[in-house]
Amino acid sequence: MSAVIQALLIGIVVGALYSLVALGFGLIMGVMRFVNIAHGSFIIIGGYIAYWLFTLWGIDPYLSIPAVMVCMFVMGLLLYRLALAPLLKYPRAEMRMDKSLLITFGVTWVLDNAVTLVWTPDTRSVITPYSGSTIGIFGARLGLVGLTGLVIAVLITVFLHLLLTRTYFGKHVRAATEDSGAASLSGVNVQRTYLISCGIAAALGGVAGVVIVSSYSVAPSGGLNWLLIAMVVIVLAGEGNITAILPAGLILGVLQSMSTLVVSPAYQQPISLIVFILVLLLRPNGLFAHGGMDDR
Amino acid sequence: MLTPINCRRNNVLEVNHIDVFHDDLQALWDVSMTIAAGEIVSLVGSNGAGKSTLMQAICGVSKPRAGSILFDGARIDRLAPHRVVEKGICMVPEGRRLFPRMSILENLEVGASVKTARKTRRETLDWVYEVFPVLKARSGQRAGTLSGGEQQMLAIGRALMSRPRLLLIDEMSLGLSPVAAQSIAGVVREVNAPRMLTILLVEQDVQLALTLAQRGYVIENGRIVGMGPAAALLCSEEIKEAYLGMGSAQR
Amino acid sequence: MTDSRKRASLCAAVLAVLVFVPLVSDLGSRVMNLMVTLFIYIILAEGWNVIGGYTGQVNLGIVAFFGVSTMVTHFLWKAGLPIFVAISSGTLSAVVLAVLIGLPTLRLRGMYFAVGTIALAQASQTIVANVFTRQVSMPGSFSANYSLSPRYYLGLILACASVGVVHVVARSKVGLALAALRDDEGAARVTGVRVFRYKVTALMISAALAGLAGGLYGYVRLSFWQVASVFSPSWTFDAVLSVVVGGAGTLFGPVVGSVFLVVLSELFANTLGQAHLIVFGFVFILVVLFLPQGLMGGADLLRRRKMSSRPEAGIEAQAPPIGGRP
Repeated sequence: MSAVIQALLIGIVVGALYSLVALGFGLIMGVMRFVNIAHGSFIIIGGYIAYWLFTLWGIDPYLSIPAVMVCMFVMGLLLYRLALAPLLKYPRAEMRMDKSLLITFGVTWVLDNAVTLVWTPDTRSVITPYSGSTIGIFGARLGLVGLTGLVIAVLITVFLHLLLTRTYFGKHVRAATEDSGAASLSGVNVQRTYLISCGIAAALGGVAGVVIVSSYSVAPSGGLNWLLIAMVVIVLAGEGNITAILPAGLILGVLQSMSTLVVSPAYQQPISLIVFILVLLLRPNGLFAHGGMDDR
Repeated sequence: MLTPINCRRNNVLEVNHIDVFHDDLQALWDVSMTIAAGEIVSLVGSNGAGKSTLMQAICGVSKPRAGSILFDGARIDRLAPHRVVEKGICMVPEGRRLFPRMSILENLEVGASVKTARKTRRETLDWVYEVFPVLKARSGQRAGTLSGGEQQMLAIGRALMSRPRLLLIDEMSLGLSPVAAQSIAGVVREVNAPRMLTILLVEQDVQLALTLAQRGYVIENGRIVGMGPAAALLCSEEIKEAYLGMGSAQR
Repeated sequence: MTDSRKRASLCAAVLAVLVFVPLVSDLGSRVMNLMVTLFIYIILAEGWNVIGGYTGQVNLGIVAFFGVSTMVTHFLWKAGLPIFVAISSGTLSAVVLAVLIGLPTLRLRGMYFAVGTIALAQASQTIVANVFTRQVSMPGSFSANYSLSPRYYLGLILACASVGVVHVVARSKVGLALAALRDDEGAARVTGVRVFRYKVTALMISAALAGLAGGLYGYVRLSFWQVASVFSPSWTFDAVLSVVVGGAGTLFGPVVGSVFLVVLSELFANTLGQAHLIVFGFVFILVVLFLPQGLMGGADLLRRRKMSSRPEAGIEAQAPPIGGRP
């Protein structure tokens, strides 16, 4: 029984990280209908920046989060300006999505190879004095690092929610998401809203990277794996449904974790593939689609 | 029955000989129009005549390939739509195009997105609530759950939040019951009354359009085929041709 | 009609060179290896072209079909089956895999298909990496009898066959349906085109070609230091790059693109090393942004513009091209 509780709690901790990973991807997808394949690379780069700051100057990764966010924000702006904004000239949403798949695939290629060049293909992780400490909860032992990741994920989700509902910028984002043409006609600078959203999305990816480099490790090839997690979470949450990302991530985390009770942990990825396929077959609008949710 | 426009009036909007294309298909040919401060002007014409295209050109959604559009003497035809709103022109789009998952209040707030409007949004909101008490009562309700007439009120309210000097209304009575349409028409008169808000409206119902407005333009197949005082236009040949396709004024 | 006759005679000339030159002179194993690699790329690229170019469904995990075929081919051949049976089985297994991933994902928007194919490729790589942890190779007898010649000619035949398959498909009823659904899926569906069925068919053809490429690779390469590399995303990227640069939705685009890729790889790999991959990435991005029809597509456009400027072209020149870019 304690093994089940352990798996459940670990699933929650991991699931929170999964939702953090998915937030940036979901933001771009929901707001602009672009698929950002390079999101995984952003996560990895965020992790590498934290690693660098830690190795060179001994800065604790969690303290380096603001710096990482700033760097990644700028990268997100560049991604939008150089790769995504030119795609806006295609009026049809399907074509925009397809083109964004291709172009961000290219961006991932460039970024992953650049990272390999700079940091070598080796895996890196950050080991701090508290990396190994655990806390006992409900008879299970959870890593302190993982729990910090959980707290960060929750904080970021709350922050994002507040941003979207309480600020004018957030209203612009939601308006542009629902009808970008009408938003434009109401005076919203839709292009600038998209630009800043891209920056935020990349910054969110960077934060996820920091948590990942402290809890696990980063390697240049790891981006696609994290991207996959993000995509499966988004499918579970339902396209465009930002608030459902946290619960969706938790569900995926728990499912994967519970599966380790029956299969070897090495097969986690095939498990997410199976979850993905099942959700597509049974609930293509995501687990959280209600009657009132518009299907886009 | 064409009546010359008095060129010495204070023209708020001038559309000068514009050609507008949708991709490679020409939609407007040599269209010109003037609107003076404080007027209500109606644009009438059958379906597909080019009314919405003209509205979109004025708002900056479509860019004319030839000609120019001036607002208060300054060119606006090269500006992006949100910049046109900044200048003081706001459109209530065809089909309302509200933000259905956002509340009434949030829709109105988005309407006040431009910097100048944002500063004074409290007063503007109070004014809009005065004009449309129904919106105040239901301000927390999601826009997607409103009735047709209420949606049109919200759409107009949203446009008013940007404190425009020229309000464009595309298909004012589309999807509304006759009663609701009359009520909206009443609102249009009411906001125009203090002579501070100029209005250009596109309306399928010719009767409604030309009784509400002082002047009108008739558009057919992408060209302006008639203009003049509304009352005169109402019983003119141009209207009959434009709507019934009779007579010799073909493309 | 002189245009197509010119093209046909050009093809014949190139083929003649490819067939006869290795018979009469010894090109050396390096050149021969390069050519075989080129053939593999061409087959894989034409495979991507069918689903990505003609059908407009972006497949970012085509390596899954390639890799599965390579593995099946390798093990069946090792078990004693003749190579042709092994390659055919590999191809078949790729098609089966395609149906498995296609059925749930092709009904939905393009994003889901892309995600599904990436997931399939990553999952395959993970499973294979966990199952085959050590070097995988053929017994010594295979390498003792190794000769490049049959591989070269098999590659040439398969490459020509892949171009032929695409040519036939593009002109068939299937091809017309694919062009319709690529341009506007909603409109195609409304006019009665069984969109889902055609998408799955296209995916199966695409997977078959990828499987052929994989099978050929299994024939060519006898030992794998890390067999999971057979599922590496770089195969997908190379295929996508070739097709996009060469011209998606054109017949010879993938061929041109593959030649471009192989030649540039040879030139740059020695001077730039790892960085040449970054250069390719940039080239790819630039092509998607500024030359989305690729080299062949761009050539097609130029030719059509020249035709439409002739006075007698008239209505003909305005008709939309079939099977080409919209």
